[in-house]
Amino acid sequence: MTRLVVIGAGMASGRVLEHLFDAAPGAFEVTLFNAEPRGNYNRIMLSPVLSGEKSYAEIVTHDDAWYAEHGVACRFGERVTGIDRSRKVVTSAGGEVAYDKLILATGSNPFIIPFPGHDLPGVVAYRDLEDTAAMIEAAGTPGASAVVIGGGLLGLEAAAGLRLRGMEVTVLHNTGHLMDRQLDETAGYLLKKDLENRGIRVITSANTKAIEGNGRVERVVLEDGTTLSSDIVVMAVGIRPATHLGQAAGLETGRAIKVDAQMRTSDPDIFAVGECVEFDGTLFGLVAPLYDQAKVLAKTLMGEDDAFRVKELSTKLKVTGCDLFSAGDFTAGEMREDIVYRDPARGIYKRLVIEDDRLVGAVMYGDTSDSTWFFGLIKDGTDIEEMRDTLIFGPAFQGGGGAAADPLAAVAALPPEAEICGCNGVCKGRIVEAIDGGAASLSDIRAVTKASASCGTCTGLVEQVLAVTMGDAYASPAAQPVCGCTDLTHEDVRRLIKSRELKSQPAVWQELGWTTPNGCHVCRPAINFYLLADWPLDYADDPQSRFVNERNHANIQKDGTYSVMPRMWGGITTPAELRALADAAEKYGVPTVKVTGGQRIDLLGVRKEDLPAIWYDLNQAGMVSGHAYTKGLRTVKTCVGSDWCRFGTQDSTGLGIKLEKVLWGSWTPHKVKLGVSGCPRNCAEATCKDVGIVCVESGYEIGVGGAAGMDVRETEPLAKVATEEEAIAIVTAFVQLYRESAKYLDRPYKWIGKVGLDWVRDQLADAEIRAGLIDRFEISQSVYRKDPWAEHAKPDTARRFHPLADLNVEAAE
Amino acid sequence: MNWIDIGAVDEIPVRGSRIVKTRDGCVAVFRTGPDEVFATSDRCPHKGGPLSEGIVHDRKVTCPLHNMVYSLETGKAQGADEGVIETYPVRVEAGRLLLDGSRFAARGAA
Amino acid sequence: MNDVMDPATMTFIQVAEVWVPDGDRLVLEKGNYGNLDAFAAASHKESFARGEGLPGKAWAEGRPIVLKAFDGSYFKRTEAAKEAGLTSAVAVPVFAGKVLKAVLVVLCGDDDARTGAIEVWKETDGVLRLEDGYYGAAKHFEWVSQHTHFPRGQGLPGGVWAAGTPILMRDLGSGYRFVRADSAEKAGLSTGIGLPMPAPDGATFVLTLLSARGTPIARRFEIWEARAARAGSPREATLTDGICEREGPLWAEENPPVSPKTATAWQGPIGQVLGSGLPFVKTDGVGLPAGYRSMVALPIWRGDDLAHVVAWYL
Repeated sequence: MTRLVVIGAGMASGRVLEHLFDAAPGAFEVTLFNAEPRGNYNRIMLSPVLSGEKSYAEIVTHDDAWYAEHGVACRFGERVTGIDRSRKVVTSAGGEVAYDKLILATGSNPFIIPFPGHDLPGVVAYRDLEDTAAMIEAAGTPGASAVVIGGGLLGLEAAAGLRLRGMEVTVLHNTGHLMDRQLDETAGYLLKKDLENRGIRVITSANTKAIEGNGRVERVVLEDGTTLSSDIVVMAVGIRPATHLGQAAGLETGRAIKVDAQMRTSDPDIFAVGECVEFDGTLFGLVAPLYDQAKVLAKTLMGEDDAFRVKELSTKLKVTGCDLFSAGDFTAGEMREDIVYRDPARGIYKRLVIEDDRLVGAVMYGDTSDSTWFFGLIKDGTDIEEMRDTLIFGPAFQGGGGAAADPLAAVAALPPEAEICGCNGVCKGRIVEAIDGGAASLSDIRAVTKASASCGTCTGLVEQVLAVTMGDAYASPAAQPVCGCTDLTHEDVRRLIKSRELKSQPAVWQELGWTTPNGCHVCRPAINFYLLADWPLDYADDPQSRFVNERNHANIQKDGTYSVMPRMWGGITTPAELRALADAAEKYGVPTVKVTGGQRIDLLGVRKEDLPAIWYDLNQAGMVSGHAYTKGLRTVKTCVGSDWCRFGTQDSTGLGIKLEKVLWGSWTPHKVKLGVSGCPRNCAEATCKDVGIVCVESGYEIGVGGAAGMDVRETEPLAKVATEEEAIAIVTAFVQLYRESAKYLDRPYKWIGKVGLDWVRDQLADAEIRAGLIDRFEISQSVYRKDPWAEHAKPDTARRFHPLADLNVEAAE
Repeated sequence: MNWIDIGAVDEIPVRGSRIVKTRDGCVAVFRTGPDEVFATSDRCPHKGGPLSEGIVHDRKVTCPLHNMVYSLETGKAQGADEGVIETYPVRVEAGRLLLDGSRFAARGAA
Repeated sequence: MNDVMDPATMTFIQVAEVWVPDGDRLVLEKGNYGNLDAFAAASHKESFARGEGLPGKAWAEGRPIVLKAFDGSYFKRTEAAKEAGLTSAVAVPVFAGKVLKAVLVVLCGDDDARTGAIEVWKETDGVLRLEDGYYGAAKHFEWVSQHTHFPRGQGLPGGVWAAGTPILMRDLGSGYRFVRADSAEKAGLSTGIGLPMPAPDGATFVLTLLSARGTPIARRFEIWEARAARAGSPREATLTDGICEREGPLWAEENPPVSPKTATAWQGPIGQVLGSGLPFVKTDGVGLPAGYRSMVALPIWRGDDLAHVVAWYL
C-alpha cells in the first residue's frame, strides 16, 4: 500500500480522497492532517449556516464513519510544522509520519488589513466554522450591530446572514460599486439596492481609518470622520494562499505553490491541490476548478494520464432571493460587442459580451433563469452568429420565436389583458379602447387612461400600441430624445431623476432603461449635471462625464494648449495681481495675454503639463479659477458706479462683486454671464447678459434672458427691487430655478422661451418658493463654492496632467 | 512582444485616459473598466484633436474637438464618419499597465 | 433505514384541502383527510360563495385567515369538524396577480400534546407584525410572537419579506439564534419555512410554518424555483433548497448548482403545480419520495408569474 499523507482536510483534498477510494479501494494508506479540529465540510455553504438556512450537520461532507470506513488516520486539530523531503516525513506536535506521496492542501488564509485596531477581539475573518460561530454568537445580543469590511462575495453573504439573524449591518466597500471584480456598475447598483432593501446599509468608496474600542471592538472610523458603532467587525477583503509549509520545504513557489498540469510540485513525490496552488500563473478560489484539480490529482496518483486546464468560471451570490449571476471574461481583448437588456419595472438587467461571434461574458441580475444556458455557450465557445439578435432573450426564443426580434410584432401579439402601465394598472385592451374612442396621441392616452402618466417608463410601449393599432395613421411624436441611448426626452429624464430619487449614473441607466452600458458623449454630461444639480449632497460630480475644458479646468485651444483665466471679482484687480499674472506669463512662456470681453485677463497657450504649476503660482497671489471654461457662472461685468462715476446711482461694482462671490463655482445647464450697470447709460452692457442689473435712483432693475452670441437679445424685466439684499436674493433664486428646471445646454433665454417669463416671475414672487430655491442653492454651494485650481494643484492630482510615461526617455536610459 | 510597465492602472480614472509619449507621438491609454484598458494613437485624424481628452463611453471615445467617435477596439470611426486610429496592445497584470513596446522600439533600434 | 417510515402517530396538521373557483363558487378539488371519513364526506358536499365560510372569506379578504374556534363563527362545517376533533383552521388564498387560483385550507386538532405554529405576518408601519397565528400547545411561543416585530431582512418573516422568496430555516431553537430562539427551543420547534403571500390589494403578508419534531407539520420540505417556467418554453422548476428526515439535505452542493433536481410541467406532483398553477394535495404515496404517503404543494406567484413551489411531505 502507498503511504499517502494529506495536509489539510478541505474540499479539494476531500474530493481527491473520494476519487481514490472509489477507483482504487485499499491502494492507499491515508493519514489526514487538519489544523481545524474537524474533518471535511462544505466550506462554501458556511453562508447559509450563518444565515440559519442550513445547519452545520447538513454541510459535513465526510463524517467520522466515512473516515473509519476508508481507514483514514485522522489527525484533526494537529498542525503540521515541517516537511523533511530527504527523509520523506512530515512533523507535527504528535511526532513524525512517513510518506510515499504527500499532498499539500493547505488552502488559504484570510487577508487582514492592518488598520489600527485590527487585532482587537471582535474582529473576525470569514473563513471557517469558528469565524461563523463567533458571528452567530455576536448576533445573539438583541440590537447588536456589525460592520463588514469588503463588498465582495464573502462579505455580502456575511452581511445578509448577520442581517437575517437580527443585526444592524453596514457594509464598507473601498471602490465605487459592490463586487467590482465580478460585476459591472449597473449590476453593482442593483445589488446595492437589493441589500438596502434588506435593511443593510452599504457605503461604497469607503476608506476605513481605524477600528476602535476599549479592550474589544466598539466602533469603526472612516477617513471622512464617519463613525459606525459595531459589536463585531467582519473583514472579508480577500484571501492569500497558505504557502508557508511548501515554501519552508523548499518547493518552488510564486504567489502560491507552483504545480504542473498533473498537480505535481517541484518535488515529484509532493502534490498540491486547491487554493494553495498556482498553475500557469493563475490562483484558484472558486470550487469548480478545485474539483477539476482533485480529479486530475487522483488520476496522477493512480498512474493514469490526465491534465488540468483552466476553464471559464461563473459565480452566484448565495443570498436567498438575490438573483445574480456573473460568468466569463469582461477584461482585455479586442473586437468586443455588448448586448444590454434592461427591464426597469422588474429590476432585471442582463449584459452579454460577444467576441468573434462567441459569447465570452455574461452578467445577469433579477432573472438568472437562463444562466446555465449562457454559461454553457461561454464554456463551449458556441458560434452564436445565427441567434445574435435574440440571444439575450434566452433559449426559449431560439429557433422560431420571431416575436422577440420585432418589438412591434411582440406588442401586436400581446393579449388585451396584458398590463402596459404598471403604475396605473392600465392594460393593452384599455388603451386600444381609448384609441377606438378617438385618442390619437400619447398625451391623449395619458389623459384618457393615465397610462404612461406616472413613471413614464412604459411610454415606448404605449407608443407601440398606438402604432400597431392605428397603423399609418399614427404620427410618432416629435419629442427629441436625449440621444440614441434612450427614448426619453431631457424633460422626462429630469422629472424622473427627481420623482424617483435617482442619485447615481447607474441608477439612471438601469431605472430609465438606457440601451448602452454607460451612456455616450451626448447624454453623460447632461445626466451628470442633472444629478449634481438635484442631489448635490448624494451625488459626486464625475469628471469623466465632462467635456475636456471642464475636466481640465481650462479651455483647450486649437493647438492642444490651454488658456488660463483667473477670477477678478467684479472686474476689479490690483497691482499685485497684475504683477503675479505678468510673472506667470513670463515663467511659463505664455505667448498671448488678452483682455477679455468679460473684463478679465486671459493667458493663452499654456501647456497641459504646466497647468497645475501656473495655478499654484496664481493661487499664491490670492487668485482663483475664473471658470472661463464652465457651464456655470462665468463673469459679472460691472461699471465703476457711484464710487467714481458722476452719473452712478448705486454701487454697481460692489453689487457685482457680491453677486460673483455668491454665485461662483456653481454649475448651471449652460454658461451664465452677469452684468451690473450703475445707471441706465448701461456701460456694463448689462441688458444683453443672462442676468443684467441696471441701477436706478430708486433701486435695481433686474432683467433676464439677454444674449449676445449668435442670437442677440435684450433682457426682459424680471423684477424691480429697492435693496441690494433683495437683488442678490432674486438673482440667486433665478439661477437656482434655472439649474433645477432647464434642459442641459439651454441658455437662460431659451429656457425662459420654453417655460414662459410669467411662470418664472410667479415662482420668484412667491416668498416661500423663493426661500426654498435660495436654501437649495446654498446647500449645493456648500459643495461647489471652492477653487478647483487649488484642488488640482495638489501633487497627487497634479500628476494626472502629466503623461503616464515617456518611452523616449526610458529608451534613452 | 516587449511588454513595458508604464504605471499603475489606478493612475487612470475609470472612463478616463492618460497619454504615454513615444517615438511615434503620443499614445492614449484608456481605462474603460476596472481592469479593462485600450491604447490608441492620441491624435484624431480629422483635425488632430487629442483623443485622450475625449469622453469615454462603453469601449469608445468621442473626440473633444468635433465629436468623432472611435471604437477603442478596432480604431475605426463609428457611424457615418470615416477614419481609423492606430491601436496598440496593452494589458493589465497585477494592477500594472503593460504596453507592447516592440512597435516603438523597432524604429529605435534601426 | 426502513423503507416504510413509522406512521406519524401525531401530526400538527390533520387535514389539508384545496378549494378552487368554479364559476362564482369554490369547490373542493382535493383533500387529505387521513382517516376522518365523515369530515371528508361533509366537505365533498360543500361549496362556498365569495365571502362565505372560511375559504370564501379568504377569497374575499385576499389574505390568509386563521380561525381558532369554530363555534359561533362563519365556519360552515362546525358539526363535522367537532366530531372529527378538529378545532382550528387556516385558509391560504393563492392569487396570481388579482386572480384567485385556489384556497388551501389546513385544519388542526387542539390538544396539549400537539405543538407547531402557523403564523400570518402583516406589514404595518414598515415592520411585520403578527396578524394571527395558530400554535397548538406552544402557548409561550405564541405570546412571544405576539410581542415581536420584524424589520426588513430580519428573522424568518423579515427575511422572506425582503427577499420575496420562500426561505427554509433549520434548527430554530438550538445552534441557530432564531430571533425567538429561546422560546422556540422550549416549544421544540425545529424547522421553519416562510412564504411570501402576495395579496391582490398590494399589502405584504408572510406565512410561516414552524414544525416541531414530535408533532411535525412535515418530515420533508422542498423549495422549487419556478421562474424559469415561461410561456413558450417547457415549464421547468429546479429544487433550490430542501431538507428530509430520511435523505438529509436536498440542495445542490456546488455553487453555481451542478445538475440540480428539476421538475417538468405535468410530470409528478411538483409538475402538477407547474402545469396548473394550483395547489396540489396527494394522499396515496404514488410518485412521492420513498417513505412518504402524503404531500401538499403550494404555488407562490409573483404578479402574473409562477415564481416558486413549496412542498411539504409526511
